[in-house]
Amino acid sequence: MPSPAAEKKDKVMVELIKVGKSYPPDVAALNEISLTIRKGEMVFLTGRSGAGKTTLLRLLCRIERPDRGLVEIDGTDLGSLPPARLQQLRRRIGMAYQDFKLLTDNSVAENIALPMEVLCRQKSFIRRRAKELLEALGLAHKYNARAGDLSRGEMQRVSIARAVANNPDLILADEPTGNLDVESTARVMDLFHEHCKRGAAILIATHDPKIYAGKGFRILHLADGEVIEQFNPDNNANEGVSS
Amino acid sequence: MSFFSAILSQLWRNLRRTLGSQILTLLTITLSTLIFAFFYLVYTNMINVGNQLGDDLRLVVYLDEEPSPAMQEEYRDKILRFDGVEKIEFVSRKQAYERFKKELDTNRDVLADMPEDFLPPSIEVYPVRSLSSLTKIKRFSDYLLTLPGVLKVQYGREWIERFYSFIRLLRIIVILSGSLLILTSTFMIASTISLTLLSRERELELLRLFGASSAYIRLPYFLEGALQGFLGASLGLGTLYLLFNWITLQFSGSALFGYFPFAFLPPATIALIITLSTLLCAAGSYTSTRKILQV
Repeated sequence: MPSPAAEKKDKVMVELIKVGKSYPPDVAALNEISLTIRKGEMVFLTGRSGAGKTTLLRLLCRIERPDRGLVEIDGTDLGSLPPARLQQLRRRIGMAYQDFKLLTDNSVAENIALPMEVLCRQKSFIRRRAKELLEALGLAHKYNARAGDLSRGEMQRVSIARAVANNPDLILADEPTGNLDVESTARVMDLFHEHCKRGAAILIATHDPKIYAGKGFRILHLADGEVIEQFNPDNNANEGVSS
Repeated sequence: MSFFSAILSQLWRNLRRTLGSQILTLLTITLSTLIFAFFYLVYTNMINVGNQLGDDLRLVVYLDEEPSPAMQEEYRDKILRFDGVEKIEFVSRKQAYERFKKELDTNRDVLADMPEDFLPPSIEVYPVRSLSSLTKIKRFSDYLLTLPGVLKVQYGREWIERFYSFIRLLRIIVILSGSLLILTSTFMIASTISLTLLSRERELELLRLFGASSAYIRLPYFLEGALQGFLGASLGLGTLYLLFNWITLQFSGSALFGYFPFAFLPPATIALIITLSTLLCAAGSYTSTRKILQV
């Protein structure tokens, strides 16, 4: 009989069936894409710039809608979701954006607090959690700093801290290590592994092969709007992080 | 943290961040309320003055000959048929002579050679003491002139017409200043909230992406509008109260204030003005958030 963790892992978190998305005048960003990501699974999305990685992430939190096909998160079809249900679903998704989307006039702590405030968390909890995340990402000393005064690497880490603050079930990260040094990259990946172990599904769009190469993760390569699934044959790291 | 605490926390943050424009909006609403409430206060007090003056108001209907008791009944019927008459009194030639003699006091000698029935008999008509009856007096006077045996109708016509015009002017000013209050409250709040929303577009976009509900996004702005309306009206009325007290103190010994007791707005009117201002500002905020946020 499978353990509860294994059972959870087998549950599908993200399901895309024949999803297509084009931009005017006639640019096909995604073409008939189908993929599945399970809970507790970390998947990497690779491909050249403009391959459609960001579009795919945006479809998953319904910042954009597909032209055709089905996008399901935890068994819920995003296409037919009424606003109230969409709001509830978005509370379970954390996204680290490529352009960070930080409020540059606010403090680092205030930026990280924002998604937790939406869930009406206690102020003491929010403070503790923000400190804990900044500590994990090597930014504890920047707690009260103005977000606009941070370097790009620091902004990127704050954006990641904010994405995982609510312990979401689905984490979407768009180039999360693009501006980071080796040590910071390791910290970010440790944080993602931690959430993956907890049972979160993680989809990371990246150009950086160092964070996935030789580690046995599922890699989805996007090219010409189509996805080519690649597996690392000699490693089973996914099982390792999600068990 | 409960939902409402989260909303209040957001509200407090919004107010702190846009303190400058908040103060400007508050001052505008305070000033609009002050202008409106000032004219309304003058208007209500003028109506009271009108009622007080009405105590001494009467129409004297001069008759060509002494009416018989049957004729007196007929006059009574016809006069009382007109709305707004409180009482009527018949004054005979003799009573008129006695009154006149009394008024002349030490100079009553001038009447020595005059017959006691040289003054015409009259009917004194006392209208009800209300502004609306005051405004009908001209029509009433015209009606009395049509009665049989009436020579002349006398009353303070010019004064009443001037007073009535003044009250009418005040009424227009009250309506205009009320409209000003409505426009400034609604538009100032709407534009302040719009500016706040536009300056926080990025944060609002993020809130939506984090799954914030429409109520979570909109309520702080709605409350901000309501709070501005409440505080603006309260400050405006508070200022007016201070001014009223100062003026009353300055003119405390004057005959005018002794004769007409000027009063401040009653608590029910104060509550109504504050409630209206709060609702108007909340409505301004509501339309603005609805238009910009589309949530």
